[in-house]
Amino acid sequence: MEDIIKTEDVVCIFNRGLPDEMVALRGVSVEIKRGEICVLRGASGCGKTTLLSLIGCMARPTSGKIMVRGRDVAKLTERFLTEIRRSTFGFIFQQFNLIRELTVFENVALPLYPLDSTFLQIKHMAEEVLGKLHIIHKKNAPIRQLSGGEQQRVAIARALINNPEIILADEPTAHLDSKLSNDLIDIMVNLNKEGKTIIIATHDPEVFEHAFINRTIFMKDGLVREVRTQ
Amino acid sequence: MFNKRKKIIEFALSSLLRKKYKNLAIIIVFSVIISIISSILFLTNSLKKEAFQLFVDSPAIVVQKLSGGRHELIDIAYIDEIKKIAGVGEVQPRFWGYYFDSLTDSNYTLLAIDSKKDKRLDLIKGTLPEKDGQCAIGAGVARVRLSVINDDMLLPLSEDNELNVKITGVFSTDSNILTNDLIVLTKGDIIRFFDMPEGKATDLTVEVFNDGEVATVAKKIKRMFPATRPIQKSELVRTYDTLFNWRGGMMIVMFVGALAAFAIFAWDKATGLSAEERREIGILKAIGWETSDVLELKFWEGFVVSILSFLSGIILAYVHVYFFGATLFEPALKGWSVLFPQFTLLPFIDTYHVFIVFFLTVAPYVASTIIPSWKAAIAGPDSVMRS
Repeated sequence: MEDIIKTEDVVCIFNRGLPDEMVALRGVSVEIKRGEICVLRGASGCGKTTLLSLIGCMARPTSGKIMVRGRDVAKLTERFLTEIRRSTFGFIFQQFNLIRELTVFENVALPLYPLDSTFLQIKHMAEEVLGKLHIIHKKNAPIRQLSGGEQQRVAIARALINNPEIILADEPTAHLDSKLSNDLIDIMVNLNKEGKTIIIATHDPEVFEHAFINRTIFMKDGLVREVRTQ
Repeated sequence: MFNKRKKIIEFALSSLLRKKYKNLAIIIVFSVIISIISSILFLTNSLKKEAFQLFVDSPAIVVQKLSGGRHELIDIAYIDEIKKIAGVGEVQPRFWGYYFDSLTDSNYTLLAIDSKKDKRLDLIKGTLPEKDGQCAIGAGVARVRLSVINDDMLLPLSEDNELNVKITGVFSTDSNILTNDLIVLTKGDIIRFFDMPEGKATDLTVEVFNDGEVATVAKKIKRMFPATRPIQKSELVRTYDTLFNWRGGMMIVMFVGALAAFAIFAWDKATGLSAEERREIGILKAIGWETSDVLELKFWEGFVVSILSFLSGIILAYVHVYFFGATLFEPALKGWSVLFPQFTLLPFIDTYHVFIVFFLTVAPYVASTIIPSWKAAIAGPDSVMRS
């Protein structure tokens, strides 16, 4: 199967040249195949989130190559990065990153606003994805009225509304109890069955010990220590 | 593009509503500042406009006699001499003076006019005085004296000199600056009341056929009668213009403080976004909004707040100046006047000034909304991953 993501010797340094300079990645090379579920595993501060950000075109590396579907995105302009981010990736954040004052529907529809879609198209797409995640009954509720699990489903719905090929999830179970974590894993497995590539950064055993994982990348101190495939 | 713009505007409006108390507070502060500045401009313009009405039909030259630097009565015999100057048309004596009414603490201007000749004072309800013992009064006089047509008006000057006249007309309020404090009498009544000697008038008015010759005629009069002061219409216009510009300018300087306060507020807004606002921009970028989309969103937010403030500020100023008589600035801007009675201005708005206010207030506010958002938007969305 072809590599959907490939990084070559990626280095990422924050606050370069400043007293608080921090090297987050020290030359990371990984390959992730299309249709895989891949876990980035490691302790806090090992560079998982940074790698996820770089893969997701949310930041640029200091050096090295990041190939997304065979195209090096490291040197693309902001406009192209945004386009790739919008069309290729769906993000699920540790803190959900929903806008609390907006309703469920508005949060989920938000990625479609800058596109030239009509309200009816947006409504149709948002309701479809909310239905798929069994949260349609809360579509008019403000986010602040939802439980943690419900918020997570809304965040996933928002990540899926553009029908992305790759789902990036950063510590998605960090704020969920075990039942909700299992529900989330089930959702991920189902999405993977639909053909989506899923990359999860986590240090939660309930996630990285799960049988559905195809590839585990062990990270430590900004380096890849081991890659296991199954 | 249309759908995209529509959705972004809708989202901008919903964002404003989400922070409605904060935005309402900004709109109130902003509106008050805009209304203060606009009030000054409206008031100055209207006063100028009203004052210049005075000059539309006024004579080209007014000749006053001076004695010891003070204005005194002028010989009517000068008229024949002035008429001999080439280019001079009609020369007329004027009889007028000021009267302080202790009953109402008001100053009035008493003026004799010829009801058959004077065309300036045609804004009257009733008639001009046609014989001795009659008068027409300005709206301000009527108000403070609680007088209407056919009432008697008693003006005591001393124990043995008082004027008792019947009111035959009241000037409308459309020409307030011209007639507000005016009492129009017959020439005979004025001469008797002010005890003017035979052959004297308060001043003389001189018409000149060619406007280009007014200055020359004025010089000739001065040469002919060195104790007189010929005042040209253009000099009066210039004096009024300077006076109102200076007073308006003085008020604007005072309220520059208010504007500066707003500028500091806007700058504070420009230099820092709240953590929540940064987070929101980060989320939008992370889910696929371009920097230009974020800026468009912030532009509409700033534009809506500032345009609402601008419109409400302008409306507030209009109401303040034209419905409440500019209560806040009246003492400073109208203090020069003898018009102690209340004064209503004719609405007059100079669109040039409205545009100036627009660009001095709306543009900086929109910029102060966009600049920090731009800084946050170009910083990269990965910050949201680390929140």
